[in-house]
Amino acid sequence: MNSTFLSLTIALLFGIGTFLILRRDIVKVIIGLGILSHAVNVLIVSTGIFDGTRVPILPGSHNDAGTTGSVFNDNLAEGILSPVVQAGTHMDYVDPLVQALVLTAIVISLATTAFILILAYRIHEEYGTTDIRELRRLWG
Amino acid sequence: MDSSATVMLAIFVPFIFALLVPFVSKILKQHIGWYAVAVATATVLLILKILPTIIHGETIYGEIMWLPTAGLKFNIYADGLSILIGLLASGIGVIIMTYSIGYMSTKEDLPRYYQYLLLFMGSMIGMVFSANTIQLFIFWELTSITSFILIGYWNDKPESIYGATKALVLTAVGGLVMLAGFLLLQVITGTFDIPTILQDDSMIKAIHGHELFFITLLLIFIGAAAKSAQGPFYIWLPNAMEAPTPVSAFLHSATMVKAGIYLVARMHPIFAGTDAWFILVSGTGMITMVAAGFLAFRQTDIKAILAYSTISQLAYVMTMYGYTTYHEPGIGVAAATFHLVNHATFKACLFLVAGIVAHEAATRDIRKLGGLRKDMPLTFIIACIGALAMAGLPPFNGFLSKEMFYESSLEMGEALGSPFTLLIPAIAIMGGVLTFAYSIKLIDGIFLGKRQTKGLPEHIHDPPAVMLIPAAFLAALVVLFGLVPSIPIHNIVEPTTAGILLEEVELHIKMWHGFTTPLMMTVITFIIGFGIYTKYDAIAAWQDRFNLKYPKISVNYYYDQMVNNAKTNARKISSITQPGTIKTYVSALIFTMIMLVGIPIILLGADIIPQSLNFDIAIYEVLIMLFMVIAGIAAALLPAYLPAIIALSALGYLVSLLFIYLKAPDLALTQILVETLSTIIFLLVIVKIPQKFKEHIPTTTLVRDLIIAGAVASTVFILIVNATQGIIPPFESLSHYFIENSLTLAGGKNVVNVIIVDFRGYDTLGEISVLCLAAFGVYNLIHSRGDKT
Repeated sequence: MNSTFLSLTIALLFGIGTFLILRRDIVKVIIGLGILSHAVNVLIVSTGIFDGTRVPILPGSHNDAGTTGSVFNDNLAEGILSPVVQAGTHMDYVDPLVQALVLTAIVISLATTAFILILAYRIHEEYGTTDIRELRRLWG
Repeated sequence: MDSSATVMLAIFVPFIFALLVPFVSKILKQHIGWYAVAVATATVLLILKILPTIIHGETIYGEIMWLPTAGLKFNIYADGLSILIGLLASGIGVIIMTYSIGYMSTKEDLPRYYQYLLLFMGSMIGMVFSANTIQLFIFWELTSITSFILIGYWNDKPESIYGATKALVLTAVGGLVMLAGFLLLQVITGTFDIPTILQDDSMIKAIHGHELFFITLLLIFIGAAAKSAQGPFYIWLPNAMEAPTPVSAFLHSATMVKAGIYLVARMHPIFAGTDAWFILVSGTGMITMVAAGFLAFRQTDIKAILAYSTISQLAYVMTMYGYTTYHEPGIGVAAATFHLVNHATFKACLFLVAGIVAHEAATRDIRKLGGLRKDMPLTFIIACIGALAMAGLPPFNGFLSKEMFYESSLEMGEALGSPFTLLIPAIAIMGGVLTFAYSIKLIDGIFLGKRQTKGLPEHIHDPPAVMLIPAAFLAALVVLFGLVPSIPIHNIVEPTTAGILLEEVELHIKMWHGFTTPLMMTVITFIIGFGIYTKYDAIAAWQDRFNLKYPKISVNYYYDQMVNNAKTNARKISSITQPGTIKTYVSALIFTMIMLVGIPIILLGADIIPQSLNFDIAIYEVLIMLFMVIAGIAAALLPAYLPAIIALSALGYLVSLLFIYLKAPDLALTQILVETLSTIIFLLVIVKIPQKFKEHIPTTTLVRDLIIAGAVASTVFILIVNATQGIIPPFESLSHYFIENSLTLAGGKNVVNVIIVDFRGYDTLGEISVLCLAAFGVYNLIHSRGDKT
């Protein structure tokens, strides 16, 4: 079960992103998209705490006993993260698949942000404005 | 090479070489027409190669597995019938493409023209050799599409666009109806394969007795009628005359319109021998034959006259294929097939003449033309042969098949008994009379009478050989088939008839066969025909007056109404759903999202906020989340770009911190790198965009947007707390596979990394492609600035 505070944070970011998307200034809309993608990424990753809370890095000869360095110590956030399926399976890792998905999503959002930004820049260059309503009027 | 491979090759040769046209045209330039002629000739030769096998009475079957798991295969079936249409498509193709070299101006977009002609030819050949109904349907629609493109070849003329659209709408919709019929046929028989049905008597009996029999027949027949411009569907063919004349000659008289006939003939063994078949096929045929022949009088464009005559002539063939009784399922099949061949020769010939006249005299209006026999004597002779063959005069091939038409009509009338004994032959004579009248009109209007000078060029002469020879060749065939009918009869009509009736047939046709009833009927036809011809202009004028007085008694009127209504309604709907403002789209999305979350929760009767919530939190967590919300609000509220972007980037770094607590070290690292990069890009762009526009938000807008944002936030919150409640029962997650096999299969301990680069490597490849595309996009956007600097 997710921490209620985490859920609240994600929800607030969604609200802020939506508010920005409804703005008339293209740059603000792009910032809103950025906030929304952050919110989505965090939401998806947080659902990965499904049947375990350990970092999905397998124990091996270098790091015994499952500890993989001080920052990623599995005891760090004990308590606030609790698996949904308590001991439902023998796996006690955080779901690695959602992390892989979000990793892809982060990189792709970089690509789209860059593209959209250049688009906004070119629109400004051609039409001399970043106001969506004004652009709509210019396009007819 | 075995015969089935030859057939496959004949299907694919036009397609493959059509795709090469753009490259070849770079070398051949305006001589690309000869390349197309060569390809078509090769196709004819391939089909001729299997002709002896078919004449022997054998059929050819071959298949290639296409999607074996789905039971889909590409299979071909060749019998007399498919060879006939296949030969027409490729043989007339050669003639038409040769003629086009002279007809089409070198200023036109020739590669496109020949490419689509070849594609059409390939589709047509593919259709006739298809052994299963689905494959037949695909090629069928391909011919509709290529026809659409060719009719609209001069795509800057509104008439071309109208004609092309009309043809596509009617034939493609007819094709879809036909597909429904094919699916019903599959429901009845359990197979899509045509030969399987044809070779199984018990299956055909089962079809006849099945309760879906009539609806299946009706659906398939609608497809055939739409394609062959029969019944109410005739309206597309006259408008299709906007195409270049060689295209009209090829598609809209000799080949594509015969696809419907082909289908009727192909389905003949399955459905014939029933009353439904006779009423539907012959009934439609007879009505169309008389109506189209009658409507031809009004036309002033010689191509339009030819279009109506094509409709009427195809209706002859349709009628004859429809003649059937329980004991004798194929009274008119041989006659129909022979007429099919003859019509292809004389009608294509006449179209080519029409093209020559239009090319030389610069008009196709029969009122302006007249007395051209001395200016273009060779064309005059060819036109006479074609038109007289159509009128049914001896010694041309049209005479023979019309005699057979009368003969089979008599037989059918007798088989049905009174009152049909007289009625059916009478209708047949009516069709013949009308045909006679407009055929004579063509010769009289263009070549006979006084030489018109008004609106005609002073010097009109016969065309260059490349246009004359194809027409002359067809005219020679008309005479040859008339004088020595055994050539077409033995080589193609008999095998075709055998293919349709599924039994050996032997036909004896002679020019002179004594004073028989059909001959009497022919004489009657000529006498009445002459009588009608003297009143030709009066009838045409009456038709014009009638049309002006009752504009609603016309199929075209209803077609136009339907299309216009569709257009206006589509515009109305799209102006509501597509206003073009982002706010509307976003609102629709948000509303849907809220409904998608809200409705299930209400329906399930779950608490909107669950009772047990997890309020445990560590202090550093509180800090990170607090800062995240602050950064978000700052990004939203700070009016200037730069501070807002800094706030956004702070939010990004905080997210990467949060990822650490969510046990996602890889994500945290990636997020830091990506955030740094995107902040740099943001700053680079912002420097170039001076912030001239500062949005002033009116209070009402602010309140509304805040309500929307609040609704989104609460919906998301409700969704998350409900989704992570543990309402999902424990299940074996997909991820377990990755965790278990990461080390053994991929040799990596970091499972996320292994998934990215190994298990789901193709996803990552896709991701890289997206990055590449975005990079290309950015590059092109920057370089699309042109010279405005």
